Amino acid sequence: MSPTESSITKSTGPAPSTRRRRRIDGGEPLVFLTGMGLAIGLTMITALLALILFKGLEAFWPKRVARIELTPAAAERVGRDVVVAHILGRQEIRGAAHAEGGAGVDEGDPGTELRLQVGNRDLNGMGFMYLPESAIERISHPRGILRLERMEYGPALVEPLELDIAGEPPLSLASEGGIDALERAIRAAAHRRAEIRAIERDQIGGLSRRIESLRMRRRGIEASATPDPAEVASIEARIAELERRYEGLAAESRALRDAQHADTLTYRIDSGREHRIPVGEIVSAERPNALGFFGRLRVFLGNMWSFVVDEPREANTEGGIFPALFGTFVMTLILSVAVTPFGVIAAIYLREYAKDGPTVRAVRIAINNLAGVPSIVFGVFGLGFFVYFVGGSIDTLFFRLSEGPVFGTGGILWASLTLALMTVPVVIVATEEALAAVSRGVREGSLACGASKWQTIQRIVLPAAAPGIITGMILAMARGAGEVAPLMITGVVKLAPTLPLDATFPFLHLDRKFMHLGFHIYDLGFQSPDSEAARPMVFATTLLLIALVVTMNLGAIVIRERLRRKYATGAF
Amino acid sequence: MSDSTEPSHLDRATPAPAGARVATRRSVLLLDRAMSLIIRLGGIGIIVAVLGIFVFILWQILPLFRGAAVELASSGRAPPGARLMLVDEWSERPGFLGADGTLTFIDLVGDAPAESIDLAGRVGAQITAAHLRPTTGTIALGLEDGSFALADVNYRAEFDDGRRRVVPEVNVGAPIDLGGGRGRVLDVDYGDSGRDKVAAAIVEVEGKLEVRAVVLTQRRTLVGAGRIEVRGAFDATPLVGGTPKAVLASSKGDSFLVVTDEGEIDYFFAVDSGFELRQRFSPFEDQPDPRISMAEFIFGDVSLALVGVDGTNRVFSLFVPEGQSVRTWGRTKQFPPLPGPVSAYTKSTRTKAFLVVAGSLASLRFSTTESIRWQEELPFAPRLVAISGKNDRILFVDESSRLHVYALSDPHPEASWRAFFGRIWYEGADRPGFEWQSTGGTDDFEPKLSMVPLLIGTLKGTFYALLFAVPIAVSAAMYASQFAHWKVRAFVKPLMEVMASLPSVVLGFLAALWLAPIIETRVPSVLLMLLLIPSAGVVLGLLWSAAPVAVRNRAGLFGELTVLLCGLLVAGALGWIGGPLLERLVFTVPDPAEPGRRIADFRLWWPAFTGADFQQRNSLVVGFMMGFAVIPIIFTIAEDALSNVPQSLRSGSLALGASRWQTAVRIVLPTASAGIFSALMIGLGRAVGETMIVLMATGNTPIMDFNIFSGMRTLSANIAVELPEAPHHGTLYRALFLGAMLLFLMTFAVNTVAEVLRQHLRERFRTI
Repeated sequence: MSPTESSITKSTGPAPSTRRRRRIDGGEPLVFLTGMGLAIGLTMITALLALILFKGLEAFWPKRVARIELTPAAAERVGRDVVVAHILGRQEIRGAAHAEGGAGVDEGDPGTELRLQVGNRDLNGMGFMYLPESAIERISHPRGILRLERMEYGPALVEPLELDIAGEPPLSLASEGGIDALERAIRAAAHRRAEIRAIERDQIGGLSRRIESLRMRRRGIEASATPDPAEVASIEARIAELERRYEGLAAESRALRDAQHADTLTYRIDSGREHRIPVGEIVSAERPNALGFFGRLRVFLGNMWSFVVDEPREANTEGGIFPALFGTFVMTLILSVAVTPFGVIAAIYLREYAKDGPTVRAVRIAINNLAGVPSIVFGVFGLGFFVYFVGGSIDTLFFRLSEGPVFGTGGILWASLTLALMTVPVVIVATEEALAAVSRGVREGSLACGASKWQTIQRIVLPAAAPGIITGMILAMARGAGEVAPLMITGVVKLAPTLPLDATFPFLHLDRKFMHLGFHIYDLGFQSPDSEAARPMVFATTLLLIALVVTMNLGAIVIRERLRRKYATGAF
Repeated sequence: MSDSTEPSHLDRATPAPAGARVATRRSVLLLDRAMSLIIRLGGIGIIVAVLGIFVFILWQILPLFRGAAVELASSGRAPPGARLMLVDEWSERPGFLGADGTLTFIDLVGDAPAESIDLAGRVGAQITAAHLRPTTGTIALGLEDGSFALADVNYRAEFDDGRRRVVPEVNVGAPIDLGGGRGRVLDVDYGDSGRDKVAAAIVEVEGKLEVRAVVLTQRRTLVGAGRIEVRGAFDATPLVGGTPKAVLASSKGDSFLVVTDEGEIDYFFAVDSGFELRQRFSPFEDQPDPRISMAEFIFGDVSLALVGVDGTNRVFSLFVPEGQSVRTWGRTKQFPPLPGPVSAYTKSTRTKAFLVVAGSLASLRFSTTESIRWQEELPFAPRLVAISGKNDRILFVDESSRLHVYALSDPHPEASWRAFFGRIWYEGADRPGFEWQSTGGTDDFEPKLSMVPLLIGTLKGTFYALLFAVPIAVSAAMYASQFAHWKVRAFVKPLMEVMASLPSVVLGFLAALWLAPIIETRVPSVLLMLLLIPSAGVVLGLLWSAAPVAVRNRAGLFGELTVLLCGLLVAGALGWIGGPLLERLVFTVPDPAEPGRRIADFRLWWPAFTGADFQQRNSLVVGFMMGFAVIPIIFTIAEDALSNVPQSLRSGSLALGASRWQTAVRIVLPTASAGIFSALMIGLGRAVGETMIVLMATGNTPIMDFNIFSGMRTLSANIAVELPEAPHHGTLYRALFLGAMLLFLMTFAVNTVAEVLRQHLRERFRTI
């Protein structure tokens, strides 16, 4: 009996008792089963985005500092009475009771323990610890505890004692005025730090590059068949002059560095030890427990800002991610500059010039498929072709005198071109779709008015297809920005000393290695010496990357929807 | 075309003014033609370039499958009557040990006069046997008085004026007594691992042959290495089964081998009190004539190249046979036979290659892959042969003491079809197998380049990803396209596209650092959720359809979806909480510390119950996270295919009284099946090539099983791990390109099938 028949026979019997049976036979529960699939999919994506959003933002929110007093027995074991720490979480002590014979822990319920960030890694030797809840006597949140972000050794949770500013009497930090003075000193130190960086990176860096290029020229002259001694001497003189300037700058930065160590802060940590550090070592200081909601919000926004604009510290586990963000930006820019014209030209050719036939259809299938070829394959190609083949040839032709490879090693140009190649199908497909959506009538109208084919394309078709082309470009950029695997073999590094775009000639350094948000995540999560400390940074970086990629994609989707509504021709 | 603008007269206007008025500017025409050309060239060029990726990768791979190229470079004269030849890394100053005990170095590139060193004079006795270790340049010299001495030849490269000059330096040690009676040493060999040193020799004492071995030590002093002294001497004669013919000392310094005239080999291994006879084997016992023509080590000294008197060529390796505890020799390779007994032998000092000469036939063979790299009938019969340290020259000395230098080019001896896809009996393994291990700690490491474990890993990851993703994606597409309100669809599709755009590095990071530790302790919860969530769907469906129409209508557009989401959350929470209970009931193992007690821990239960591994970063985690990458792709394409089924078909079915489920399953699904299949294929392609998730969320161990709680290494992750370290144009580099090629072909094939299906489907809808 065919399905339609059975439905007909059933529907002829309108008895109410069969109604429910028909619902079941009609497969309504199975409809819900398929609906469950959709519900799972939606939950997965929402939960993931929510998780990243929450964890990412949490990293910036100032956490309260707890002062944990230990029970006498625990105090003996830990070696101190008080632990000052951020409480990161609670977890079951799993298997510990079996492993260690369950010292003081009930057999049936192993109890819970607290995960604490104690900071002061320089004095404690560790930044994190676990504490069974049974060892805790009392938890309080005193307002006076100061949290310091330092250039080295991570955060410190301290009780401030004294600020010693050069040329002034020591200042006790028990008063509000003391804290203000400390904040002023920290700001001054930050200013000096920026100055040091400007001198050391930009000026000295520029000088040493010039010296290096002069040396290369000297080598070139010396290696030539008829070395001209006068020319060599003039180069020598210029090198000497540059070196003198170099010395001057170095002295200047030395003086600033000394100033960074002039002022000191004395504090006491939870184990009772007192310690003195130069104010120049402190990045920021705040009293999390004394902050109200708006105070916290201010710190939160400040943290976010410095995350985006600062350089990384401590093997990337602290500080900001500016170089990675900037590297991603420059790479995406080069990528889009490379990918758009080529993709558009190929699409115009396929749609407007090539005669539709089996060949074009085959080519179209091939291009569609290239979009599905794994990114790592493009990476392999990029390494073999761009880096070794093209880059190696450029080096042998133009940089024979340079000591290391210039273009014959991974760099931002090669990484961008590799990704451009990878995303070219995206642009081709999107552009073709947009071109196809331009109605035949418009085209024929233009031709009928006597416009040439190119004029039609240039003035009629392309403007109409522009939103579609932009969609393709954005999609390509979004895919390129989030891709990591091909970059790992074509020029991304965990820590680049210089940016690919800066103030020294020729401004855009295509041969430089660069940092990238996605690789930053990989590196922090997997290669970091202290992965626990890096955790908030990874989530924050993830949030930033996702925000970038999702914004780009949503933009593309919105543009495309508008386009679809405008030209209501369906594309498969 | 411009005619229409003119007033219509029966008599046409004279063409000249009309032509002038409508004539197109030349520049416009030129531009049009130029742009046509540019776009044509550019378009074709880009398409060719994009497809050129395939060609380029292929071009990088091809050298892997080429044999060795050998051709005559130069010839010259060697000192007459040489018994042994050694050569430096650059093959500039080969040395020849003459029968009279002089070592003569000639200059092949410059015109330096031959340089002779009287070794016999230096040691003060006549040299009766000599054995060269090409890896270290040490010659063990057997002397007439039953002792032996070591001569170390070091080549030093001096640079003056930018030109290289190779200077040989010879250090001759004092003779070392082998113990026992005096007599002529007939054969001697010396092995040195740096810590352990052993020497073995055959000594003719009063017409009888004795086999002796000594264990040596070298004191380290402040000024450097001290004298070599004998720590213990051992007489192996009583243990040797036949007439000794040759001895071989292992460079591990712990063992030696005695080859007898009868065709047996005795393997002696160092123990506290000297040596024990660990094994006696006859490598050619199945041949009519079991006698051995040649037995020599292959680089690394854990494999023996053996040739019988009839030319049979085999390789024996040291390995621990199954069920035993010590390493013994066993046959691992069988090469095509040589025409007769061997007249000269040498081995590469970099790879597992060896060169055997029988009559005038020279054959360069590679042990690992059991392949002949090069074989040629030479116009002379070589008596001595040597391969240079750089593996780029072969030197032959023929009967009339002429020296023939051949240029050798064999950059990828380890590579072959078999090495990548076949079973290979690697050194130290007890059976042939597939293995990937590209680098090792020592120089004599044997690279294992089988693609098979990586292919299996790739398939494993893909399998688990699809196992999770396909049911969810297809049913979601089905629901969204067939049952949900179009407004729901309009909201779901962009969300799914956002999901597709999530960078895989983010997914990988979350999988490894967030999900894996959670799942590790909560496997029973996950299992329970897998059971509860689909049942929740069915139960809710039953309840919902039983609910009065009024209630259902009031629920609005998102009503069903809201109910489903609530059901999902409740079922998920139940599963999460119920997991530990389930664990306590079912997944318990006896506590080893306390008999009678049982520990409830899935991580222990799984290995105990199935014998398979449990790792934190496992396929379950990978499958789940890859779902994020695969679900949106399958969903989008499948949803398109389902939505594009002509509305008339659906309406017809519904009008005939079929329920929405019946319509969907029996009308829409079969019509769109090709599209759904193509969606699955494209999802498969994505899962095959996914790199970052598997790189981060698995242990990257190249294992070959389908255990869901262990990791894997996929082709893509393998490339990402190893390519940054692979030397340019080395074998590993090209092998990784081969891996990329496999990936490329796999995804390309899968995607092409999908694309053709989709086109086919489009044709079909056009006709309906």
